[in-house]
Amino acid sequence: MAATIRRIGLASGWLLVSLVSLMPILGIVVGLWPPEHITFADIGSFLGYQGLYTSVFMTLFSAIFSTLLSLYIAFMVYSQYHLSRRLQSFEKYLAPLLSLPHLAIALGLVFLFSDGSLFFADSGLPRKGLSTLIIAIVIKEVPFFLLIFSAIGRQLPIKYWLLQGKALGYQDYRCWWLLVFPALLKQSRLALLAATAYTLSVVDVSLLVGPNIPELFAVSVYRWQTSFAVGDQALAFWANALLLILLAVSVFILYAHEKLAHAGCKVLATKGSHFYIGIINPVFRAWLPMLGVLTAMMVVVFALWSLGFNLHSDSFDRINSFGLTQFSTRLWQDEWLFFALPLQNSLLIGFFAGMFGVALALLALELQRQKGKYWPDYYWLLAIILPQLSMVLGWQDLHIWSQGGYNIGWVILSHLPFTFAYGYLVLKGPFQSVEPRYEWLAASFGYSSWQSWWQVRFRLLLPAIFTAFAIAFSVSIAQYIPTLMMGAGRVTTITTEAVAIASGNQQDLIALYVLLQSILPFIAFFLAALLARGFRGSMGGVDTKGDTMGEDSVRHY
Amino acid sequence: MIYPLSKCLVSGLIFCCLYLFVAPANAEETAKSVATVEEKGPQWQQTLKAAKGQSVYFYAWGGSKAVNEYLRWATREIAQQYRIKLIHVKVTDPSEPVSRLKAENGRTSAIDLMWVNGENFAYLKQQGFLLGNLWLTIPNTASLAVARLPITIDFGEPMDGFEVPWGIGQFNLIAENEVFQQSKVSATSLLTIAKNNPQTITYPKPPEFHGSTFLKQLLVNLTDADPRLYQPATAQAQLLPVLWQYLDQLHPYLWQQGKAFPSSAAEQLLLYQQKNLSMAVSFNPNQWLKEKDTQQISESSVRRYFTDGAITNSHNLAIPKSAPSPDAAKVVINFMLSEKAQHKKFTGVWGDPPVITSLFDEKATMPAHPELHSSWHVIIEDAWQQRYGG
Repeated sequence: MAATIRRIGLASGWLLVSLVSLMPILGIVVGLWPPEHITFADIGSFLGYQGLYTSVFMTLFSAIFSTLLSLYIAFMVYSQYHLSRRLQSFEKYLAPLLSLPHLAIALGLVFLFSDGSLFFADSGLPRKGLSTLIIAIVIKEVPFFLLIFSAIGRQLPIKYWLLQGKALGYQDYRCWWLLVFPALLKQSRLALLAATAYTLSVVDVSLLVGPNIPELFAVSVYRWQTSFAVGDQALAFWANALLLILLAVSVFILYAHEKLAHAGCKVLATKGSHFYIGIINPVFRAWLPMLGVLTAMMVVVFALWSLGFNLHSDSFDRINSFGLTQFSTRLWQDEWLFFALPLQNSLLIGFFAGMFGVALALLALELQRQKGKYWPDYYWLLAIILPQLSMVLGWQDLHIWSQGGYNIGWVILSHLPFTFAYGYLVLKGPFQSVEPRYEWLAASFGYSSWQSWWQVRFRLLLPAIFTAFAIAFSVSIAQYIPTLMMGAGRVTTITTEAVAIASGNQQDLIALYVLLQSILPFIAFFLAALLARGFRGSMGGVDTKGDTMGEDSVRHY
Repeated sequence: MIYPLSKCLVSGLIFCCLYLFVAPANAEETAKSVATVEEKGPQWQQTLKAAKGQSVYFYAWGGSKAVNEYLRWATREIAQQYRIKLIHVKVTDPSEPVSRLKAENGRTSAIDLMWVNGENFAYLKQQGFLLGNLWLTIPNTASLAVARLPITIDFGEPMDGFEVPWGIGQFNLIAENEVFQQSKVSATSLLTIAKNNPQTITYPKPPEFHGSTFLKQLLVNLTDADPRLYQPATAQAQLLPVLWQYLDQLHPYLWQQGKAFPSSAAEQLLLYQQKNLSMAVSFNPNQWLKEKDTQQISESSVRRYFTDGAITNSHNLAIPKSAPSPDAAKVVINFMLSEKAQHKKFTGVWGDPPVITSLFDEKATMPAHPELHSSWHVIIEDAWQQRYGG
């Protein structure tokens, strides 16, 4: 009897997980189903499109380069907090850095650094260019990678590795690169994939700061897809096909990079050659504080705008002499009536989509663990990897066909594949590295497998689960296309409002909505960091005092 | 001043063109004013009754604070007068509702009313997605200023009752007075200005429609409004080389030396606000005044238009054939064409010119130039992309 129940439970678990993970495939198949009038002859006109090759190359380059650059910067920053005993743990500083959306960072960069900007007018940063785009992406991805490292790091015996390395006579930073880096790299593979896929297909940031002669590939794809001329629809079809190939190519490049990095570390370790990377440490020690200052400056600029401060208005000089009398909270008061409901919707959708997404990710991991075989990573991350617009168009077709009406439930369902994928991405590393000894120990005390899972594994994973939830929540908050297409205007969120307003030219309103859009993720990341401090992972607090993470955990236990 | 003969001919031709699409509409209108339902008539009363208590989901661009505020006002008025709930679904791109209608393919729509014109309208009309006979079933269409404004044809596509004009777009430049001292701009004067003020002139990257219209205005000016521009484009016409020669000269003096362009008119206006540029582009002939009122742009900003007149078109309202509340949507359109709503639209924050006869005011608009035949649109955009886009 018990076995039957167990079997039914397992089967329904698999069913649930497969349903969610198959949603992206279903969407892309329906969304990209070639209309009749598309022929192979159209490939010719697609390949002959002026600037296509440059555009594709720039897109691929910016995606791979910005991801790898962010990875190495984040890894260097992470090392500072492990190698130095003076520095405190960094997790609590990440919340504000993570909560500004990509577009807000791009906007902030432009207004702080490009021509005619507020502070650094001659920074040499082009208003539109590959360098600006890459910088904006790196600023946003480094904290993301740090968060992922932090979740993985809690389950890895990093301290022992460093001790062993030191015992063999290696300097700290060499141990770090030769021992820790390969392990972290392998476990953050999913995060790398997600970051690359994002940059490959991002439209709004590319439109604002990306180069446009020629424009980035994702922008062309979006343009063709949203145009209804027959020729453009054919271009859109083949462009989407190429986008899928680009995604496959970048998966390949990332795997190749991982293999190369492993081989490189091995060669360096066996040759015993010396490399001095320690000299540039101060840069990375200062990275987070610098980023913090930058983020603060952006927030201040947005806040000033939303209060009616306008550097370029004719009355600016008057304001100065009058002591900033023109500040007013009028806009906030006017808009309050209109943003309260979207804010509430965002919160609801984010909470449920985030919670279900993380729960399903845990379920998927547990089912695979029991089976003893893990499916390829890219399968679980399809929602992040596949071109979003085509995928969501497919869902929209199915949703309309089902005549299911429009409500918040459909929007939550459409966010679920994304929150699931991000939840899986954060949890996979920590889940796989949970020390099995603890569970053996529980079993030896007579805990049932269910009890041991709940009381031991789940509890050990809690910090990672909080992180996963915060990321999944903020991912849900940021969704524009699924919300608009499934909600059909019946469900407005702070993001549907913010994105619509950002397509205009009203500085004060754009700033206000950017701030509003950042508030919910900020609260989520902040709470997650706060809560995570109360729990330790398998390796979080076993070391002696003096270790920063250890201190936190020791205090609470 | 004596005009060269060719110019006279051309103006005559333009007048004929204008007349061509005004005259039949006029005839149509006379026929229609008999047929259009009356506000007091039983048919309209029936519509009003059916509309009561319904919701109208209005898909409209949400990037303009002025438009959003106007729609908030309209929502309050409509709720009070007709007990209809108007809901503005803010979209970033007018193609979003089109893609939804395509996906719905005739099933009950999520859209009751949409803001549309140009190629999106042409596509929807051709696919049969729009509710027809709007001009016959909405009383206030009788007051549309069809005799004074080119509002029966939308980018070469006759409206045929599938959409109703709501407002007028006229291509103009919002510019710094010091840089653009003359009230009209020609291709030659623009080149001189660009040379004297390098890096401060630009236009949105085509196929963004402001950018494409900017090119059309230049083309009209450079070819002395060649009559072939108002007929279907042919390869033999060879009208474009003069535009490319001109742009080859102009681009090195543009913002970022023409190696990057603003992505949209909104982005260009932001750059103008931040004093990176000395000109922006707009389709709203009164936007410059409204932006000045709210201190978004400097006091020294002025409006400029091309010597041949501002390319003029209308932006319109349409109801999907499968809309769940077509009656309520008609009531909303009727309200939007009322004197009160049109007056508020013009004098309030938005400043969009009225389209009804009673409020028609020459001062609200600039001298108009007809739209080019829509086939030129595609050809110009493709050729631009080939020459400068990659």
